Parts: sequence; C-alpha cells; structure tokens
Amino acid sequence: MTPLAVSLDVFGSLDFWIGVGLLAATYGIFTLGLQLNVGYTGVINFGQAGFMAIGAYTMAILVVEAEISFWLALPASIIVAMAAGLIIGLPSLRLRADYFAIVTIAFAEIIRYTAVNARELTGGSQGIGGFDGAFLDLSDLMLDGLDSFGLGDQFLLPLLIVAVVVFGLLTVGMYFLQRSPWGRVLRAIREDEDAARALGKNAFAYKLQSISIAAALGAVAGWFLALNLAFISPTQFDPLFTFLGYAVLILGGLANYFGVVLGAIILWTLLEGLRLMDLPLDASQTAALRYVLVGLVLIGLMAFRPQGMLGKRQEMVLGD
Amino acid sequence: MTEQAEQDQAPEPAADAGADGDAILAVRDVAKHFGGIHAVDGASFEVRRGSITALIGPNGAGKTTLFNIVTGFQRGDRGEVVYDGASIFRRPPHVIARRRMVRTFQITKALAAMPVIDNMTLAAPDQPGEKLTGLLFRAPAARRREKEVHERAHELLDVFGLREKADDYAGTLSGGQRKLLELARALMVEPRLVLLDEPMAGVNPSLGRKLLDHMHTLRDRDGVTFLFIEHDMDVVMAHSDEVIVMAQGATIASGPPEEVRNDRAVIDAYLGASVGT
Amino acid sequence: MEAAEAGAVENQQGRLAGLGASASLSPPVVAALIVAAIAVALIVTQGLQPFGQTTVNGLISASYFALGAVGLTLVYGTLKLVNFAHGDLLTLGAYVAFVANVSLGLPILVAVLCSVAGVAAFGVATERAIWRPMRAKGAGLLQLLIMTLGLAFVIRYSIQLFAGTQPRSLEVDVTSSTSFLGLTIGQTQLIVVLVGFAVLLAVGAALRFTSLGKQMRALSDNFELAEVAGINTDRVVLATWIFAAGLAGLAGVLYTSAIGNMTPNLGFFLLLSLFAAVILGGIGNAYGALAGGVLLGLTQEWSTLLIDARWKLAVGFLVLILVLVVRPQGLFGRQERAL
Repeated sequence: MTPLAVSLDVFGSLDFWIGVGLLAATYGIFTLGLQLNVGYTGVINFGQAGFMAIGAYTMAILVVEAEISFWLALPASIIVAMAAGLIIGLPSLRLRADYFAIVTIAFAEIIRYTAVNARELTGGSQGIGGFDGAFLDLSDLMLDGLDSFGLGDQFLLPLLIVAVVVFGLLTVGMYFLQRSPWGRVLRAIREDEDAARALGKNAFAYKLQSISIAAALGAVAGWFLALNLAFISPTQFDPLFTFLGYAVLILGGLANYFGVVLGAIILWTLLEGLRLMDLPLDASQTAALRYVLVGLVLIGLMAFRPQGMLGKRQEMVLGD
Repeated sequence: MTEQAEQDQAPEPAADAGADGDAILAVRDVAKHFGGIHAVDGASFEVRRGSITALIGPNGAGKTTLFNIVTGFQRGDRGEVVYDGASIFRRPPHVIARRRMVRTFQITKALAAMPVIDNMTLAAPDQPGEKLTGLLFRAPAARRREKEVHERAHELLDVFGLREKADDYAGTLSGGQRKLLELARALMVEPRLVLLDEPMAGVNPSLGRKLLDHMHTLRDRDGVTFLFIEHDMDVVMAHSDEVIVMAQGATIASGPPEEVRNDRAVIDAYLGASVGT
Repeated sequence: MEAAEAGAVENQQGRLAGLGASASLSPPVVAALIVAAIAVALIVTQGLQPFGQTTVNGLISASYFALGAVGLTLVYGTLKLVNFAHGDLLTLGAYVAFVANVSLGLPILVAVLCSVAGVAAFGVATERAIWRPMRAKGAGLLQLLIMTLGLAFVIRYSIQLFAGTQPRSLEVDVTSSTSFLGLTIGQTQLIVVLVGFAVLLAVGAALRFTSLGKQMRALSDNFELAEVAGINTDRVVLATWIFAAGLAGLAGVLYTSAIGNMTPNLGFFLLLSLFAAVILGGIGNAYGALAGGVLLGLTQEWSTLLIDARWKLAVGFLVLILVLVVRPQGLFGRQERAL
C-alpha cells in the first residue's frame, strides 16, 4: 500500500540517516551515563534529563548572556552538572533504590520547571538560541573539506562526525574504566553493597562518583542536543527522554557499553523511521504511536528478555 | 587430609598465646534494642590476640547482632568497642574493614555475578587503581599493584583448592566452595582479626575440617586472631582456645572450653532455651 | 510554647519507643502543631482572607491528591510495586468520563461511575496480565519499575493516539461560583471538595472498620506477617487493586472537573505530587497518604502567599525531597522501610 512505498524513501535518504546518527549519538552518550549508574553501580537514576538540561543551559547561558567563549563554556557546564550530581547525591544516595529514583525525577523536574519559570535567565518556554556561533565556524571549515566528497551541503554532517567520534571515544573510555579496579568495586557494590563494605570499600563514595560521572555524560549529551537544533527549550528535557534512554539501555542490555551503541542506533532508527513514514495519522498521533511502541517494547523486554541484546542473564542481578 | 582426624584433637597452643595475652578486641557493655526487644543487653568480653575464640549461645542470644555492632553494620545504642587500642564503636563498616578486621556472613556473600578471581582481587587493600585519582595520576603504580594482587589471589586460590575455578562466576560454585571462597577472600585483606559467622553451617565434615585446618595454620603461622560464632559444640570444644557465652543479649561466661562447659550459668542457659546444633 | 510542646512530644516519643509501642503517634502530632503554627503565622502576616482563600484552594487540590495517593500507597504496601503508571490511571479515569459524558452524552454522575468501574477493571487486568505473572517469575525491583514505566507510556500515549493532545472538558459548570465568608469557590470545585472529602472519610472508615479494610492495611503494613496470620492474600491483593485503581479514576475525574480540562499528560503531571503525598505520609500507610495529600494540597496553595504562583508545583517537589532527606519514613512510616 502507499504508506510502505513512501517509507522506503525515508530510509534511503542521507538526511534521514544523518538525523538518526545524531540522535543515536546524543542519546547514546546520555545512556552511557545510565549504564554506569544502573548497569554497573546499581543506582537507579531517573533524572538524567535534568543533567542534560544543566549541561545545555549552562553552556547556552554562558555563551549568550555571559558572553564567555563557547570552548570555555563546555567544561564549565560539565563542572556545574557534576556539582549538581553531588548536591543531589549527598543527601539521597543513602535511600533505597526506588526512593532515590523518585528523588532524581523530582530533581529533573525542578530543573525543567526552573527553566520554564526563570524567564530572565533561561528564556522561559521560548528557550535560548544563538550559542552555536563558534561551533558553526568549525563546522564551516569541515564542510569545506567535505566538499571534495560532494557532501558540502550536508550542514549537519560535521556535527554528526564530531558526535560520533565523541560517542565512540566515550564508549571505549567507559569500557576501559569498567575494567579497572575502580570498576570492579562498582560492580561489587551493585551486587552486594554490604559485602563491598565488609571488604573496606566506601560504597557511598563510589555511588557519588558514579552519579557525578553520569551527570557529566548527560551534560555532554546536552551539548549535542543543543547544537543539533541550534536552540534549546524546556520541552526537550522532559522526563520522557530519560525513559527513552532507559529503552535504549534495556534494549542494548545492562552492563554492556557496546549494547548502548547498538540500542541507541536501533531505537532511534525505529523512532525516526516511524516519525517520517507517511502514516495516515496526524503529527501528535504519530508521536503517540511511537511512544506506545516504546512502552510495549519496555514491557516486552522486561517480561521476556530482560538482558536485552548484549546483556548477560547473570547481570540482571538487581533483583532484590 | 587423613581420615584419622575423626576425633579432632585439641589444637596446639599458638606460639605466642601465653606470652602475648593482650586483647585485640575488647567489647564493653554493648547494648542494642529494636522497639521493645533488647537484642544485645550488656555484652562485655575480650578476645586475646592470636587466639581462636568461639562465641556461643542459644538462638536469639544476640551473637550476630553483636557481630554487626562490632563490625559497624549496626549501630549500638551504648557501650564501647576497642580494636587494637582504638575505638571502633559506631564507625562505618568500611573503615573498620580497612583496619584489617574482616567478617564473613551467615549467608555467604560471595559475589555470584562476578568471577571468582574478581571476588579475590576486589578484597586486596591499598589499590591505587580503585580510586579515580589513582587511575589518572598513578597509573604505573596501579598497574603494578594489580599484578601483585592477581598473583596473591591465585596463590590463595591454590591454597584453598579453587585455582581452576578462578575465571568462573562465583555463582557457579557449590555452597562449600563458596565458604572457602569467602574465607580466601577475607584473607586477601591481610586481616589481623577475622570474624566468622557460623563457618561450619551447611558444610560437609571434610570441608569443615579443611576450613578449621586453615584457621589453625593462619593462627600459628601468621598470628591471625579468629572470633567465630558456632553452634557445633564438638568443633567449639576441640578447636577454640577460648569460649565466650552469650544468652539473652548478655555475656554470661568466658574462659577455656572445659571451664565454660561446666559453668552452671551456661548449662542453665542452654537448658532454658532451645539449643541449636 | 512551641518548644515546650515539642519537647514534651520528644519525651513521649522516647518513652513510647522504650515501651516498645510504635512511635507513630507523635510525629503526626508534631506535624499538626507545625501546620497550625504555620497557619497562624500566615494569617498574621498575610491576612485572614488570603489565607482563607488559599486554604479553600488547597482543599480542592487535597481532595484529588489524597484519593490518588491512597491507591498508590496501598499498591506499594501490598505489592512492593512503585507504580509509575499510577498517574496515568488518573488520566484514564478522566478520559473514560469524557467518553461517557461528552461522547455518549451520559449524565456526569453515570460518567463518574463508569470511570471508577472502568479504571478499577483496568487495574485488575494489569494485575492478572502483568504483575502476578512477573511476581511468579521472581522479577526484581528494577524489572518491575521499568515495566511500570512502559505501562505508563502505553496508557498515556494510547489515550493521546485516540483523543489527541488538545485539552478536553467534561460537561460541568466551570464558570459559576459561590462565595461565603468572603471566600470564592467555583460551584463545580465545591462539589469536588465535598465529594472528595466524603469519599476520603468513607475510605478511612472502610479501612478502619471493615474486615477487608483491615486486611488490606495489614497486608500493606507487613505482607509476610499477614500471610502467616491466614489472610487470603490473593483476594486482598485483588481488592487492593480495585480499590486503588477505582480511587485513581475518581481522582482523575475530580481533578479535571476542578481544573476545567484534561490532557493526556495530566496523570504524569500529578504523579510527582502523588509521590510527595505518599512519602510525606509514610509509604504503605493509607491514613498517611490521606494526611499527606491534604498537607501537600494546603502547602502548595499556601506557598502562593509567599512566592510567585508559577512556582507552586516546585513546592511539591521540594517537599518530596525534603521529606526524603530529613525523615524518609514520612509521618506514619517505620524507619526500616526507608533505608
């Protein structure tokens, strides 16, 4: 039928794949943080969208309103995000896992809420734009180079390249971090905090570090989100996106960073594919359909294959 | 290990038992209650350095709670616990463990989803690689220590007969092997005091004998002190240098096994309560 | 005066603890005293009329907060399930009422009954189709949490799929209002408060006096003990779902009547406030949820006397974080539950 014929077009377009690649890389970096928390530390972080917002907004505000160099605003935004991680973690990490999850959602919503209401600082619902000048300069340079491949008019391609490289480096970095003695302590904490403590490990300190690093990763994801749209607004940091991150996480498999890569690519191909397929539905209905499917995938995976694609059955140990 | 040790003999005294009789652990008037229940109510005793000391008592006497308080897993309501001359009362468990006091749990906490070798290397102290700052700024030292730790882990696994299992998940080990792993892992900490919570529970006799032999070797050769909770009276009588008896949250007797066995108060306590074996 | 009373309460708490009685009498007393103190302070600084008006508004919110929270806490208590889909049960209730009332033209009262019954049935369906099989499989905390998230998505976005995102309204009077004692309240809102509190009282009474209610409370408070005491857990679990989901449906209808419209997001929007109420009251404790809902509603509205109204919602989130940091077991809960 007609919908199918049109949808094949979508999958053949380079624009589409660049878009998918950018989203996959952005939310992939986002989910690396979730993997560290959930898959490797046993901490359920439902507030990752909040850290993403902090990263994006700090960068944008510093560049646009404080007129600080873009390249300085980036590390500054990481520091702010990590500080936020500490602030939320210090009083709350001693709580039970599900209570901590609730605190993190509350935190993320407070951030989003502040973004909506602190209009003078954040532009309110209108959002902020105009922070990407410095990056565009770099992008133009890259586009000149890409011209020789006939790709000089794919204006998002430079961002994609940077995003994919960063995503790749971070994934490999997290993988090696996990293989270190530090990572080993984390895994022990995930499985049995008391056992780890009885062996001299300060479980609380490790969990705090885990949250901070995840916050940093969330902030980096925030940069790419911001640069992709050249504009940020509070709706982009809805808890919905944290839960999409969990869909990536579960799909790829817990306790496997390469699973995050796989999960991100598959989920965003599906989501974007559905969005751009010419279905006999209006825009909000298409969006709704996509998310109903995400919900079904989450339920189905948890019920029938909780280890996702690359996770190991033994790793699904968070079953207290 | 030969069969002839059916009737376990009393162990030879530790090399420095008589001479160096100071207390490595002193518990003074410790108490803890939950709601209206006084789990521990005035427990006081000393554990002599280099001894194998047993902590016995009827079910519900408060032994495990006392262990938890000593090791920092539960917060005592009052009292004092002094370890190696310093107070450890109400300190966090990981701080106590770092002072080379290690414990095992009633239900073994072998980290099942991690390989046996990781269980072991995890326990080693002073690993720069366990800190982020160490990974970043002391990478060569971290690598060296990791190598050391791996070697020691393999040595210990050898001693406990678990060498071939090194790369298997700890969850695949049998119950008895997990007990051995827990003890081996505890030794990676290079402890001065080891608290064992019912080490013989659910363990077949030959394996039990292995565990006890290890305890004796460690005491004789390395001067490690053991304090263990146990219900098997044969083991207690034959293997401990000293016995401490608790009942209803308080210490009611302490001394050499023979003395305690004939103590009036102890007999009453056991007759008056259900005796576990 | 305040310090002496608080001090006396502290002593009582200590003595009660020593006697082995649960110390759950004193914290609510302390809370009530604090609330009274705050009320007095607000009246004095802001004036009686503003205080009264915000109290009226607070009671409106309280009615749907409390009803939503009771269900959430009972499901947690009996099943140890932190149901992130609970908010969407409120949404479902609102939309079922819409279909009955607006699409089918039924009178609002019938629509409300349809909501309650419909959402209750849905709750039972999820228990049979999802939660019971997963419990049988020995599913862990994370698995169940994620499934509730998935379910939340499915409910919310299915509603959006069929009803779209534009706000819808029930056929209720949203314009006329009444006044008394210098305070105004919308007519429908007045009905919401009356119905809400009537049901709250009925719920409280049912939990206290009916045998099923007592069993539900027992199960929620200590599942294993209740099982051992011979309570038919299957039956009570079922009753809990009917109760919880039904009340959620009602809360959704009340919310949309009070606010004037509904969107597919209304439930998730309320969810954090419901969590706040539940945790404030002590998770697993039904009376706590009722009290928590009332306290939360009042606190949110009173806060508008001091800060700009647009920050109202953040107050709920802050209460939540504050409670979790200072006293995670809430007003009525037991400490072991929280850490």
